[in-house]
Amino acid sequence: MTSTIVPETGAAAAVRRNFWRGVWRVMRRKPSRMAGAVILVVFAVMGIFGPLLYPDPLPRDTSALYAPPSLRHPFGTDFEGTDVLALVVTGTRYVLLTAVVTAVITVVVGAGIGLFAGFRRGRWDTVLMRFTDMKLTIPGLPLLLVLSTVWKFTGAVEMGLVLGLLGWGGVARAVRAQTLSLRERGFIEAARGLGLSTTHIVGRELLPGMAPYIAMNALIAVTGAVYAQVGLFFLGVLPFEANNWGVMLNLAVFGGGALTTTAALPYLLAPLLAILLLTLGIVLIVDAMDEIFNPRLREE
Amino acid sequence: MIGGTGITKTFRQRGGVLGAREVPALRGVDFAIPKGGAVSFIGESGCGKTTLGRIIAGLETCDAGEIVIDGVAMSSLSHRRRQPYFRRVQLVHQDPYSALNPTRTIHQALAAPLALRARQTGRPRAWADERAGELLGMVGLDPGYVLPRYPHQLSGGMRQRVVIARALTVDPEVLVADEAVSMIDVSLRLGILALLKDLRERLGVSVLFITHDVATARYIGTDGELYVIYRGQVVERGPVETVISAPVHPYTQALLSAIPVLHGLESPGEQRVVPVEASGDHPSDDTSGHPGGHPSDHAGGCLFAPRCPFRTERCERERPVLGHDGDTPQRHACFHPERRSVVAVPVSRR
Amino acid sequence: MASEQGPPGVRIRGLTVVYRTPAGELPAVSGVDLDLAPGTITGVVGESGSGKSTLALSLLNAVQPPGRIAAGSVEIDGLGDVVALGGEGLRRARGRHVGYVFQAAQNSLNPLKTVGKQVLDLGRSHGVEDMRGLLADARGLLGRMGLDGARVLDSYQHELSGGMRQRVGIMLALVLNARLVVLDEPTTALDMITQATILRIVREVHAERGLTTLVITHDLGVVAEVADRLAVMYGGRVVEHGPTRDVLAGPRHPYTRGLLGAIPRLVGDIGEARALPGRPPTLADVPADGCVFRDRCPLRMDVCETGSPPVVTRGSRSAACHAVRDDEGDRRAVAATTGEDQA
Repeated sequence: MTSTIVPETGAAAAVRRNFWRGVWRVMRRKPSRMAGAVILVVFAVMGIFGPLLYPDPLPRDTSALYAPPSLRHPFGTDFEGTDVLALVVTGTRYVLLTAVVTAVITVVVGAGIGLFAGFRRGRWDTVLMRFTDMKLTIPGLPLLLVLSTVWKFTGAVEMGLVLGLLGWGGVARAVRAQTLSLRERGFIEAARGLGLSTTHIVGRELLPGMAPYIAMNALIAVTGAVYAQVGLFFLGVLPFEANNWGVMLNLAVFGGGALTTTAALPYLLAPLLAILLLTLGIVLIVDAMDEIFNPRLREE
Repeated sequence: MIGGTGITKTFRQRGGVLGAREVPALRGVDFAIPKGGAVSFIGESGCGKTTLGRIIAGLETCDAGEIVIDGVAMSSLSHRRRQPYFRRVQLVHQDPYSALNPTRTIHQALAAPLALRARQTGRPRAWADERAGELLGMVGLDPGYVLPRYPHQLSGGMRQRVVIARALTVDPEVLVADEAVSMIDVSLRLGILALLKDLRERLGVSVLFITHDVATARYIGTDGELYVIYRGQVVERGPVETVISAPVHPYTQALLSAIPVLHGLESPGEQRVVPVEASGDHPSDDTSGHPGGHPSDHAGGCLFAPRCPFRTERCERERPVLGHDGDTPQRHACFHPERRSVVAVPVSRR
Repeated sequence: MASEQGPPGVRIRGLTVVYRTPAGELPAVSGVDLDLAPGTITGVVGESGSGKSTLALSLLNAVQPPGRIAAGSVEIDGLGDVVALGGEGLRRARGRHVGYVFQAAQNSLNPLKTVGKQVLDLGRSHGVEDMRGLLADARGLLGRMGLDGARVLDSYQHELSGGMRQRVGIMLALVLNARLVVLDEPTTALDMITQATILRIVREVHAERGLTTLVITHDLGVVAEVADRLAVMYGGRVVEHGPTRDVLAGPRHPYTRGLLGAIPRLVGDIGEARALPGRPPTLADVPADGCVFRDRCPLRMDVCETGSPPVVTRGSRSAACHAVRDDEGDRRAVAATTGEDQA
């Protein structure tokens, strides 16, 4: 038998190349996925470069308070005459940064604890799952309200940290359940029989099978985090910060009377539209996760 | 050389209100797998053959008895010290799909254990890749085709060959093949069996073959030894060809009689043994659903007596032990051993 | 028995079943002609991808999307062309005329209901008025198969062993007095002794109730034990058909011969047996033109590349192979083949 052996690094690179080619194929299968991806890319660009596009602080046009939408101000202006679109764009960074930090923490802590508990079973499992259950029974919003009285979440990262630490319970439970069922599969037993390390078994054998699930949870955590922080700012429990979607909503409703008069309506709708679009983008892309991380569905 | 004595295992089944029920899976089994030899465990599902295979592969522990690998008693070692010994016994799973990680390519599946092997033996990393190709060639696959593929892109037969190649990465002494061909297409089964036989001859690896299909056991090697297991007890043990052509235990005879006859090519054996049918609620031909639920458990008689057409009063009182009796080359656990021709005979072709 | 008529005959003509895939519609069964004579047991043998299960489902017009019956007819006595049936008529036919024992019947029972409850559900959905009678029939059938009927009817699935569940599956297929019964892989996952018992029961019940029976299996041994007639399928086609004993004693199609030679046997020279080369075709790689078996065939000729082999019928036997068109074809020796399992 003649064998054509590719060098190890070459093979690994080829696998990676094939993966991205597969991702591209999966994304192209449905136009909705491409739409979702485009939306997310636009938001990412806004989050990264948005604040660079506008001067800081944003210019105020005191002659045009609550101006209606126009070419100059597509979404009108706010109570001090600042362009609403500029507020939304510059506010994206805070929202996205919080959301990403939340998602990362939710997934890392949740998957970590779930994997460890499910793989070790026994005493560790019992202790960790009791802890998780306790955490799950604590209602999130009231706790956030209480926390915010003692700790002003000064930055997006701190905000994300808090939201993430509050949100990993569900992921941990689900990952544990999946670990318990996967660890009985033949290939895990074989890996153990071959003497492969636990790190390898958990990281290389178990984790990839759960990747679609974890990716979905990460994306859903992003939407959850957006709602949670916008909600907190809307309620006004967090310090005022002009260009934040939640603060905008708060000011539009309680300051501008957007619910009774039409003048502040664009000011209210612009951040709402941003939230809606961001959520839509995520929902559209979530359905691709299973196909991206399952080689059988990806390669077809 | 791997052997065991008095291997006993009892499963606790969580019952309803009455609490746990004890189900004996293995009742003091002795075995020996000679180097390069072939040993087959035969029996119905639930008879304990799979549990025994898993104990031998170190995936489960026994309650009593001793596994000895290269003269070292496993019970004398800590869990950690035991592992290198049990690594010499590799299990080939029944289902080649679940035995390979669907998210990893064949290259990845082989590279991980080979990289470990390279580290242990101080070989360069390049060796691992070379060896992966070599092993795939050994199991009859084209490395160029197979290496970059995912398990789902291969046929069942190819997958099972990959599983065997992966088991060979750690240079095992014994391959434990548990129903290794039952999920493979009929036309390809012999290919896998021939491969196992070939590996015995070429690498000197022993094969422990676990199956309910006696006929396949011959194809691992006619020089092999057959263990017929009934409800956790070895009831007959001897050279493959002897046990098949001249079985003496009624259970072995019932098992062989049940193998379908290719009418037209073969005529059925003249003394086929059909086990006694159930008395009402317990269909005795089928223990899989109710292992251990037999009345004879407590009576201490022969385990097979309730289904045995030849049972006598003694069989219900006393339990026979495995031993030589008379001039039979095989050992058996029966008070009334008798050779019967139960196996189908080929009719001469026109 | 309820019906005074004889067992029904079945005539399958030009049956083609296709499955929609990303690569277009691919045939799982192509142009199959097959007769089930009244009162016989026919065994259909094939490996994965042979189309045998799809063929069985066609008998009930029960091919599920993405599959559909693209052409052909399935005439059942007393029922007409099943392919033309639809809706309510089809639903009533299933169970009443055609009893179906599903693949892995061991696991096809409802785990939340007792067997008796499932019998009643079946009766209700078919408008049976005499429920007592139905339960009595069920009890009788179970008793006939060596079980304690009353006890089994009171049991849940998990309280029954594999062999018992299989018998319950057969009971459910027969309790509405269906005279045509399809058994899909009736003994897979059963032990040898249990398998022998089930096969004996199938044979006995078939004779006693005057049925026409179709057994679908991958195991030639199963067919050899129960079937009067044997149809061998490969790549969606019936490649050989005839009385079981005759086909086993003198297979004409090279695939049948190869399959017989690949079965591990208890006696004889093990050196004679060998695996077929290559592997069974999947839906995607069944050749569109020419013979479906040619890639694995030791008798391959040029004509096999282009022409679909015609079905040659001689007496009660038929085979679809270019090599058996001449009378000497079936006597050719099987060329030596290797066990290479590679496409």
